[in-house]
Amino acid sequence: MTAKVKSMLQCVLVLAAIALVSGLLLGAFHIITYVDPLQSAYDRFAEDTGKTFSKMTDDEGKSYENGLVSYYAVSDDGTTHAFVAEGSGGYGGNVQLYIYVTDAKIEKIIAGDNSETFLNKLDSANYYSNFIGKDVNSLDAFAADAVSGATKSSDAVRNAVDAVVQYYKENVAGGQS
Amino acid sequence: MNRNRMKETVLGGLIKNNPTFVLVLGTCPTIAMTTSLFQAFAMGVATTFVLIFSNLFVSLLRNVIPDKVRIPCYIVIISTFVTIVQMVMQKYLPDLYSTMQAFIALIVVNCIILARAESFASCNKPLYSVLDGVSMGLGFTGALCLIGIVREFFANGSFAGFAISGFPVMEGVGASAFGFIVFGCMMALFNFVIQKVNERKEKMKAASLPLSEGVVESSGEAAK
Repeated sequence: MTAKVKSMLQCVLVLAAIALVSGLLLGAFHIITYVDPLQSAYDRFAEDTGKTFSKMTDDEGKSYENGLVSYYAVSDDGTTHAFVAEGSGGYGGNVQLYIYVTDAKIEKIIAGDNSETFLNKLDSANYYSNFIGKDVNSLDAFAADAVSGATKSSDAVRNAVDAVVQYYKENVAGGQS
Repeated sequence: MNRNRMKETVLGGLIKNNPTFVLVLGTCPTIAMTTSLFQAFAMGVATTFVLIFSNLFVSLLRNVIPDKVRIPCYIVIISTFVTIVQMVMQKYLPDLYSTMQAFIALIVVNCIILARAESFASCNKPLYSVLDGVSMGLGFTGALCLIGIVREFFANGSFAGFAISGFPVMEGVGASAFGFIVFGCMMALFNFVIQKVNERKEKMKAASLPLSEGVVESSGEAAK
């Protein structure tokens, strides 16, 4: 075995060993810190609305062309429809939003787990006000203009809102609880 | 264990080689995460944790890691600890994590961490490397907090989230452009103070020299 091959093998082995130990360490930490996404959604719904949600109406969700609804639940008093939605096309991947609908109107939109760095720009521009208070049955999510400097994030948000609009029209019959 | 060297290592990261104000490293999180004191502090603590542990492991493995693959090895080590920070924050500090998560992931490519792994931890013993991680981390955290205090005060009229009554909020001051201005001003102020302190130290040192030494020096200069 030549010295060059030996050196190459040594490099590969050391790097592989470090990667393996890192993987094991991360695996251990994952077990310790695992957060059940369903439980996390329940907690978030309750925290954002101040209402109780004892069951997930739809925990499988539905995909659309540029977005998806991951979870949908109705509050125990039947007044608030809570959605976990994602829109594709963001700068850092999909953008997750928690969208709450009361009396067929969007009541609240809150950003969820995201790797999107431009969402704070949307917050500063008060971008969600384009959708809040609007009737879900007649809302055109794409009518809202994109925020300058955060066009991809705006696109992803519009896609997520549009997914909720479509889901609402299809599954929440008549658009009213 | 050399006490002087330990002192030098600790003070180096805090003042002499402050990563933010002197080495001007990690500018991205410095601008992005200093809109409030709390965020700046959290970012500093997360970076300090990663710095300490990546320095420790790079130092422990410095004789094992071949030169050719040292950078990939450092990146694997650093990203492991960044992922651990993410997991822990997501579990125990979900609110803070949701506002900072994009920037926490970016700690992997924070040049302070890679620079310390490459220039210090890879050629020093574990104890000194950990000390370097602590001092660099504290230096970074301190710098972020100082900038965070100023930016939060001007943008929101508050300190650590507590409103200061009677101060008019300046809209737009929280933007990144103002962040750069604050960063520049703080950097200039920090370096000015350090320079003045050093000058004073030198003057005091010169004044405390024995008279005979001063006479010899001055006579030597006159002879030249």
